[in-house]
Amino acid sequence: MAEFTLSRRTLLALFGAAAATPVLAACGSSVGGGSTGSSGGGAGGPIKVGLVVPQSGVYAALGTDMQRGWELWLQQHGNKIGGRDVTTIVADEGENPQTGVPAVQRVLQSDQVDVVVGLVNSATALGAAPLMSEAKKILVVTNAGAADITGKARTPYVWRTSFQNAQVAAAAGPYLAQQNVAGGVFLIAPDYAAGTEVRAGFKAAYEAAGGKIAGEAAPPFGTTQDYQPFLSQIRQSGAGAVFCFFAGAEAVRFVQQYAQFGLKDSVPLYGSGFLTEGGVLTAQAGAAVGVRTSLFYTDRLDNPANTAFVQAYKAAHQSAPTCYSVSTYDAAAVLERALAGGAALDGDSISAALGGIGAIDDSPRGSWTFDGQSPRQTMYLRTVEGTPPQLSNVVTQDLGQKAQV
Amino acid sequence: MTGWVAANLISVLNGLAIGALLFVLAVGLSLVFGMMDVLNLAHGALFVVGAYLAAALAGGGPSWGGFLGALGVAAVIGLLAGGLLSAMTEPLRTRSHLDQALLTLGVALIVAEVLQIVFGDDPLAVPAPPGLDGSTSVFGAAYPTYRLVLIGVGAVLAVGVHVLVERTTLGALIRATVADREMVAAIGVDNRRVKIAVFAAGSLLATVAGVLGGPVYGASVGLDSTVLILALVVVVIGGLGSVKGALVGALVIGQIESLGRALLPDLASFVLFGALALVLIVRPRGLFGSRSGAAA
Repeated sequence: MAEFTLSRRTLLALFGAAAATPVLAACGSSVGGGSTGSSGGGAGGPIKVGLVVPQSGVYAALGTDMQRGWELWLQQHGNKIGGRDVTTIVADEGENPQTGVPAVQRVLQSDQVDVVVGLVNSATALGAAPLMSEAKKILVVTNAGAADITGKARTPYVWRTSFQNAQVAAAAGPYLAQQNVAGGVFLIAPDYAAGTEVRAGFKAAYEAAGGKIAGEAAPPFGTTQDYQPFLSQIRQSGAGAVFCFFAGAEAVRFVQQYAQFGLKDSVPLYGSGFLTEGGVLTAQAGAAVGVRTSLFYTDRLDNPANTAFVQAYKAAHQSAPTCYSVSTYDAAAVLERALAGGAALDGDSISAALGGIGAIDDSPRGSWTFDGQSPRQTMYLRTVEGTPPQLSNVVTQDLGQKAQV
Repeated sequence: MTGWVAANLISVLNGLAIGALLFVLAVGLSLVFGMMDVLNLAHGALFVVGAYLAAALAGGGPSWGGFLGALGVAAVIGLLAGGLLSAMTEPLRTRSHLDQALLTLGVALIVAEVLQIVFGDDPLAVPAPPGLDGSTSVFGAAYPTYRLVLIGVGAVLAVGVHVLVERTTLGALIRATVADREMVAAIGVDNRRVKIAVFAAGSLLATVAGVLGGPVYGASVGLDSTVLILALVVVVIGGLGSVKGALVGALVIGQIESLGRALLPDLASFVLFGALALVLIVRPRGLFGSRSGAAA
């Protein structure tokens, strides 16, 4: 189970304690060493990084994993990126752009950071992009998967080390088409931007490979507690398999209800990897066994970099790393490569340097490269195996290198 | 065609299960709101307290001990929380609804944050008690056994609350206070006591609903606001302060959330609030709201 971090939570001290006023000023807590106050600076000077991840709200568990990934990389590299001492300012992204964008603005303006890392919510990332352009500083997105971030709304200052929504879903398309699923695949994802991108991405890839969509559903996002009407629709469609995208509490409910309504044994369930990634898998328990998902990472990947990474991570936190940890770990790795070449700390220099760093060949996820400022990376088909509470995503098949679509 | 009918009959059945749960959740909110004009926005948080209790006491796996224990603890916590909320809103009874809403909203936020600190950020599952955690074949398709039992439990609670409110002296006092608070006070009844009792009982039902709903909804951050909105819709559709209204409202919303979404999947996001809008246009006081204008 995830632990909680203290900075934002200390706000609770306000409850009943007027003496806690100074806590307000500590909304962004500071970790790591290095002198403060000097942004820019010559080669070898310190670098200040704003780590903006959710510390409250529904995405808080992801934020914890992201922060752990970031801190693990720093700890393994003597708290230096590109030879510069690192000061990390952690700020709470919250759930939505109303909290996330001001958090980015605060680390940029009040804390004068050189680089911003993090962001779970795509709308927050899109809202933060203009701030980054204005400040001419780099934002490394380590989760948010909207296509527009490195597509329609692309700026040279926003790079992404995680994934693109459609990229993850599309990877499973050709695989399912090859399986010749009798009756076709039923497609279900929530009725919001990411869900729509997943449905479109999967559908295009699956149909291009000769598959037939048996039906589609878009349950209301965030307010659907009960999936029975949609499960009933799946049963009536006669589909031979289901591809879905859910995360967090919705992933837990969907996978459990899928089993309770008896579909698990008759209609195999596939999905984007977030369905069974991290803490949700523990809660899904037996209902998740056998569920197959596509993603760019699993802690069961067999490569030397990942073995070492998982070992160090488990030693520090008694829990396995997730794709969220790896994306943020890799954000430090790409900044290292960009700054090791002697780039200055302004956005234009780092952006130019990031464009020329080549393959990141020591990542726990396997070697990957930037392609249009977002990763071109190997996708894996993973199957949930084990007996609760010891469940993990085991690699079933290598789906090949995929760029964003 | 028979397949289509069977599938929709399952949706109807499921609507009853969801409706039963919503009734237990909403009846307390309705009575408190109708009687005292107190808008208790902490009602959803009470539900989630129950859900997390069920998750915590279930511990390793499904057990009757854990489930019944959670029901007992939730009932006690509900009673205490209701009494506390009643005491906290008392000084605001002469102030505007907004002050009461702000107070209870603050309580809801604090409770949610404390739960997140205690139980962690990850969503938790609540297993149904042994024997009910499987599926039963209904109209040729698997249906979770627990939800069938939930319909029965909801029906028993509905009858219990109905008898209490409609057939007992205490119930008459509650109905009288809903109808005209000042007149009840004028005949020498301390209506603050009635308020405390109703607040405590309503909160008890909310936390119990959380335990009962655990195996269906799980326990997670953010569940409180979703559930609160559903309860508010039930109360608005049914009419304030009416047990019958809460029951009919809950059953209607259960069917809308279940059968409505099954029949109109493309309008899934819309049907709930569409129905709410329709009721507000046709019966602005709700289906069973009989008060002659809200007391200011």
